[in-house]
Amino acid sequence: MSKPVIEIKNLEKVYEGAVPVHAVNGINLTITEGEFTALKGPSGCGKTTLLNLLGGLDQPTSGTIEIGGVDITTLSENELIDFRLRNIGFVFQAYNLIPVLSAKENVSFIMLLQDRPKEEREARAQQLLEAVGLKGKEGQRPVQLSGGQQQRVAVARALASKPQFVLADEPTANLDSTSTANLLDIMEKLNKKERMTFVFATHDDRVIKKARRIISIEDGKVLSDE
Amino acid sequence: MIFKVAWRNIWRSKVRSFIVIGSIAVGIWAGLLIIGFSFGMNNERTASAIGTTTGHAQIHSEAFDLEPVSGAVLGDESAVYQLRSEVESLPFVAGTAQRTVLQGMINSVKSARAVRIMGVWPEDERAQTTLPMTLVEGDFFESAGRNRLVIGEKLANRLGLKLRSKVVLTFQDAEGTLSRASFRVSGIYKTLNATWDEFHLYVHHKDLEHTTGAPLVHEVLVRYNETVDTDEKTIELASALPEDLSVMSWKQVNPELGFADDMMAIMLVLVLGIIMMALLFGIINNMLMAILERRRELGMLMAVGMNKSKLFLMILLETLMLGFVGGPIGIVLGDLSTRIMMHIGVDLTSKKEGLAELGVQSIIYPEIVPEYYIIIAIMVVATALIAAILPALRALKLNPVEAIRGQ
Repeated sequence: MSKPVIEIKNLEKVYEGAVPVHAVNGINLTITEGEFTALKGPSGCGKTTLLNLLGGLDQPTSGTIEIGGVDITTLSENELIDFRLRNIGFVFQAYNLIPVLSAKENVSFIMLLQDRPKEEREARAQQLLEAVGLKGKEGQRPVQLSGGQQQRVAVARALASKPQFVLADEPTANLDSTSTANLLDIMEKLNKKERMTFVFATHDDRVIKKARRIISIEDGKVLSDE
Repeated sequence: MIFKVAWRNIWRSKVRSFIVIGSIAVGIWAGLLIIGFSFGMNNERTASAIGTTTGHAQIHSEAFDLEPVSGAVLGDESAVYQLRSEVESLPFVAGTAQRTVLQGMINSVKSARAVRIMGVWPEDERAQTTLPMTLVEGDFFESAGRNRLVIGEKLANRLGLKLRSKVVLTFQDAEGTLSRASFRVSGIYKTLNATWDEFHLYVHHKDLEHTTGAPLVHEVLVRYNETVDTDEKTIELASALPEDLSVMSWKQVNPELGFADDMMAIMLVLVLGIIMMALLFGIINNMLMAILERRRELGMLMAVGMNKSKLFLMILLETLMLGFVGGPIGIVLGDLSTRIMMHIGVDLTSKKEGLAELGVQSIIYPEIVPEYYIIIAIMVVATALIAAILPALRALKLNPVEAIRGQ
């Protein structure tokens, strides 16, 4: 049986205002190693908020999030930054690569933040770029790459830090169908080959079809978990 | 790699970076020119005053410093001779000259004024000062005759005097009683220090002795071999002489020159400070713009685990790099411009009269002042460091989620 990577208990996130908004409303979830999970739901249902909470980018109003046995809701801001660096990979909708660095440098940069030796950084960045099908594009800067290629660099970057899992927020939203298919194939391959856990927040059917576990969110609650 | 990222980041907006680097370079260039020009002007004035009138140091009796009366002499002829020999034996001393210094009045047909009467040994003055070279009319006691007077052009004009004009000098004799004697203008001098010219007149010591009754030596002027570290040499000179003698540096003799030096140093630091303040705001503005434009990217870096110290370092490096590029360019430009002007001079003939009042010539030759290069380099680095703080703090306050969303 696979070990749990993420365990969420009674998670709530309330945005205070004239009318308080329960973006996440009492969610309990366990995500185990090697899952390829999609959080789906309409816009504003709370899936991105849930993803941000899982990534330690936002603080819940109540509840706990245990990642590898560590309750990240108890960590300080600085501890959270370090925790994210060593345990969580991120893929953003808008790729968010560093424009002044080449594809390989973008991937290496995360490992540099982890203070890994140069040889290791070089070798792993090269290996990951080859794994996402970007061999020969290592020296290209983001502006010289297509949207699909940039997102593949982003995936390689997310994996570079050897995280426990990768969170991807609408990773295919800006991609055409071919690029989406390529990207999903690559992520699926990495998931199977390296048992890397992926959690997507998406409303893209192409992603949902590939997912082996689909969690539907609505009004901040889990509607279904298949 | 953070260095690489920082370096590449500053070239993301080339025009903006070039403007900031250009303003740093121009600011430093202007600063160095002002420094070179100010030092050139001040040093010329100082050198002129030392060369023509004060020497590097002066020796008086302590009584003379307290009250410059005629009786406050350095000693009799043999004592003065011994003193001069002693001083001239010091390795850094180029020569000495002795003078009689009397406070008095000059009366012409037109007017009367208080003056300082300098009884000189002309051969000494010719050897140790450049005053004889500043004569615009007549000669410096070369022609035969008695009771000759060499007067500053400004004073001569005020008293309506020309060559061979007759004047009456009133001063104290050796016993301290007032004496009067007629003199005739035999030379008119004009130094770069109009204030000196207006207050000092020169007579032959022998002509004074006819009235004072004895050779009075109140002052021994000392000229050094080199013009550097004159304060240290003056201290060394004083330590070599008996304690009842007073040794004054040119700054003490002519305090306005020393004061001008000090004031200039303060003014230059102020000018540099103002330039750096202008650069500070320019750099801050540039970096704030850069942070604003890169909010999403900075948010991503924070999200993926770039800690605050590294983020701060990256922004600090970017700011420092702007200074490190602009600073040397400004220093090289300033150095080259100053060197060129050192050769051709800055012609301010149109302000000749005003400059003469300040004791400088109408063509200024700027000087290279290496220690100010170091001061400027430190100020640029300090400015860049200070300029980095606000943008860096702004970046650290970003909320990664909002920044990634572009909010």
